Amino acid sequence: MLILSLIEARPRHGYEISKLIEQRSGGAVRFHVASLYPLLYRLERRGWIQGRWVEKSGQRRRRYYRLTRHGRRVLAAQLRGWREFVAGIHRITEVKNA
Amino acid sequence: MPEWKSEILRRLASLNLAPAREVEIADELAQHLEDRYQELLSRGETPESAERAALDELRGEDLLARSLRPVERSFYREPIAPGRATGNFFSDVLQDIRYAFRILCKTPVITAIALLSLALGVGANTAIFSLIDAVMLRMLPVQNPEQLALIKFRSPASAHLRQSATNPIWEQVRDHQDAFAGVFAWSPETFDLADGGEVNNIHGIYASGSYFTTLGVRLAAGRLMAASDDVRNCAGVAVLSYGFWQERYAGAQSAIGSAIRLNGHSFPIVGVAEGSFFGTEIGVPLDVAIPICAEGILDGKNSMLDDRSSWWLEMMGRLKTGMTVEQADARMKVISPQLFGAVVPQDWPAKYQDVFRKYTFAILHGDTGTGGIYGLRERYTRPLEILMFVVGLVLLIACANTASLLLARSAARQKEIAVRLSLGASRGRLIRQVLTESVVLSSAGAILGILVARWGSSLMVRFVSTQQSQVFLDLQMDGRVLGFTIGIAVLCGLLFGILPALRGTRVDAMSAMKEGQAQAAGGRSHSSAVRWIVGVQMALSLVLLIGTGLFISTFANLMALDAGFDPNNVLMIETNIHNAQIPDTARASLYGQMLAKLQAIPGVVSASQCWVTPLSGHQWDNSVTVPGHPLPAGVEPDTFLNWVTQGYFETMRTPLLEGRTFGARDSATSTPVVIVNQLLARRYFGSQSPIGEHLLVGSGGTLTFRMLRQPMEIIGVVQNSKYSSLNEDFMPEAYFPLSQIQQNVAENTAFEIRTAMTPGALIPALRDAMGSVNKLASLQFTTLKQEAGDTVAQEHLLAVLSGFFGGLALLLTAIGLYGVMAYVVTLRTHEIGIRLALGAQRSSILRLVMRDAAIVLVVGIAAGLLGSIWITRLVKGLLFGLTPNDPVTMGLAIAAMAMVALAATYIPAQRAIRADPMVALKYE
Repeated sequence: MLILSLIEARPRHGYEISKLIEQRSGGAVRFHVASLYPLLYRLERRGWIQGRWVEKSGQRRRRYYRLTRHGRRVLAAQLRGWREFVAGIHRITEVKNA
Repeated sequence: MPEWKSEILRRLASLNLAPAREVEIADELAQHLEDRYQELLSRGETPESAERAALDELRGEDLLARSLRPVERSFYREPIAPGRATGNFFSDVLQDIRYAFRILCKTPVITAIALLSLALGVGANTAIFSLIDAVMLRMLPVQNPEQLALIKFRSPASAHLRQSATNPIWEQVRDHQDAFAGVFAWSPETFDLADGGEVNNIHGIYASGSYFTTLGVRLAAGRLMAASDDVRNCAGVAVLSYGFWQERYAGAQSAIGSAIRLNGHSFPIVGVAEGSFFGTEIGVPLDVAIPICAEGILDGKNSMLDDRSSWWLEMMGRLKTGMTVEQADARMKVISPQLFGAVVPQDWPAKYQDVFRKYTFAILHGDTGTGGIYGLRERYTRPLEILMFVVGLVLLIACANTASLLLARSAARQKEIAVRLSLGASRGRLIRQVLTESVVLSSAGAILGILVARWGSSLMVRFVSTQQSQVFLDLQMDGRVLGFTIGIAVLCGLLFGILPALRGTRVDAMSAMKEGQAQAAGGRSHSSAVRWIVGVQMALSLVLLIGTGLFISTFANLMALDAGFDPNNVLMIETNIHNAQIPDTARASLYGQMLAKLQAIPGVVSASQCWVTPLSGHQWDNSVTVPGHPLPAGVEPDTFLNWVTQGYFETMRTPLLEGRTFGARDSATSTPVVIVNQLLARRYFGSQSPIGEHLLVGSGGTLTFRMLRQPMEIIGVVQNSKYSSLNEDFMPEAYFPLSQIQQNVAENTAFEIRTAMTPGALIPALRDAMGSVNKLASLQFTTLKQEAGDTVAQEHLLAVLSGFFGGLALLLTAIGLYGVMAYVVTLRTHEIGIRLALGAQRSSILRLVMRDAAIVLVVGIAAGLLGSIWITRLVKGLLFGLTPNDPVTMGLAIAAMAMVALAATYIPAQRAIRADPMVALKYE
């Protein structure tokens, strides 16, 4: 879900994704190469994301990942599920505090 | 710059990746490490520490390979993921079926309940349908049955068709018609194989010589009857049915040419009809056919052959090729005056003779069902339609039951489905898989159902068969029945499978795999669907229950009603002294001797004799007039009559309300007397006493019995009693004393014996007593109770079957509700645990769970009530003593439904409140 939402707006390459996760989580969540890429490949195999080699002038060739249409649907469903989950937890903890 | 690629490739080596893929991964990862390295350098790290940190991303020697292996395995073998399309339709179907069996075996209880309810549902439907098929849909098993037409006629004054013809009319039709390629006539008759003693009746017909040839019946042995066999003063021949030939003669050729004794006369057997032929009347068995002319041999002096007022023959014709029923009808109408004019009954009053001359023929399609050949169709079409509707409802309930069970199970299978989806199964493919399961289930149910049906339909035929009219039906599973069963099985499979299939496969793979919350979220939508189904089920069963209640009350009303006599412990002996050849003037004393012998037997409380056996279906009626007491306009003067001996009312326990009963003083020489029933007395005399008044039967003059030609003095009034059937209204009745006639006494009579013990136990003694008077008298024993039951066989059938199906529906609904509530409670275990932990009262939890069921119950009952009000109107004609919207029946049905529903809910609810909060919360 994290990865999917990061490439929702525009395609990103692996390094960029790992940086963003690290930054946005304030360093709490970190992906290493050994765990990030297997995950990306798995998502790619499922057809949720698609990687493509891009060469920009003055830069080395990088593989950019973008969200597929299917991936977009999956992301929406996951976000919904997540929100419900959080709301549920929230309700429970509220009750407990009451 | 460090050499990242070699570091990476070393770690990938163990994966044996395709070279191109390996390079691609290495490129990408190397780029990542390089980016990381550059970034660390730019932060001011030393090249050494930056390189170390970048390599650290790879996490040791083997983590990368381990994580990549499942994703990148080159020989990627699909784990067991049924539901993934292989592109091969047939192997998919086989796989589906195999898998369906595995799944069904994994949940044996659910499977067993589903199978049982389906087997009963499908079985009941098949059984009723095979009856409908045999009674209503199948044509006669003869050549071109569609060419057959019934030949009836009607009087100009009446719209009703005459059911039967006299022999003179038939002979006119036979000799003078030119509208048909061939015509034939027949009359059903029972023949006694025994030469006296207890009767051994078989089902036969008098058939015209053209009967077999016109029908186109083929031959099994010997020859069939020909026109030359059916001429006046014939010697008589007999043609056997195939079944009778097999049963009595074991199919022996030697039977042909041997003689068969019918009512004490010998007939040579000339042939056997083919196996599939069972006569022209569906549902009536046929054992033997003898020519119409043989009636003269059997009935001798009383022969009806020349009687112009004895209506006993049915006529049919085979249309000429290319001719329609309408054309034949028009042609027959043209020749009607000529034909009827030739056979006018000379003893009729002139007025009626004129009416007779104006009779016209009416030709009807062979399958019109207006009496005659399809009498059974007429009698049982409505009950069969109702039963078909009833079993249809049962099947729907069974389907709903199975659907809710499968739905509950599919909720439990969410995780499995989720795994399959994530392994690449397409939803459409999974739906097909789940539907296959349903169809496998319903097919298995159908196979069991066919077994249930075979047993059930023959049981039902036995049910509707009475001693008087045995029902014989060819209940073979033909293509139509089999097609019907397969059709409903597949339909059921789709019906109860479609919802679980659609619901069950709408799974969010990710969240379903995250266990708990998915159960709750998915489960809730499931349980609402299940509630719907159970609500529908309740509505349907309530309709059935109300119907059941109506039919059972009808039957109970009929059995409990005061028939005007006490049918318990009364044995009837139908007696025929035809074989003894006793002159009519000597018969009265013979009967008297028999009666005296019967009365002397220990265990006989009282005995009497009468002419028309009550509730036998026979009737004798005539118009009655009372001088000085005219009937109001519009009231029919028709009265039911009977000859009885003096002990009759005591034996039948029909209370005497006024005056006296017959006694020794009423002899052939004394004043003719009559006893009437209450209805007749009230009709003619209102509140006045009829005692001492006089009564006249018919127009006097032409009556056979001289005694009836004069006014008779009314000496007593008895309570009303049923005459020919329990479900008819009371009729005006008049009883004459047998002691006052000495001449024209009939060859047949009936004795009624009230016994102190079970009537059956006395039969041997009674048989001996009758035999000691005359060995040749034919005797047939029945109990009055049996006769009474036979007249309401149809109501009995409906009561028993709808009772059975109503109970079944209730049981299915209870199982369904129990299953659903148990499931809902399981889903809410956490919630209930939390509530309990927070201090909720157990009673409030109980309320919470019961409320769930109560809502379903109330909605179901409301819908069911509306449905039944709408539907029970249709059975109005079949009810007795209550209206279709009988409030008591409805109330009882609702109470039964509510009780069963609450009981089915209470057990899961109890389990819910006993839940240990700790256990429940540990789920979280």
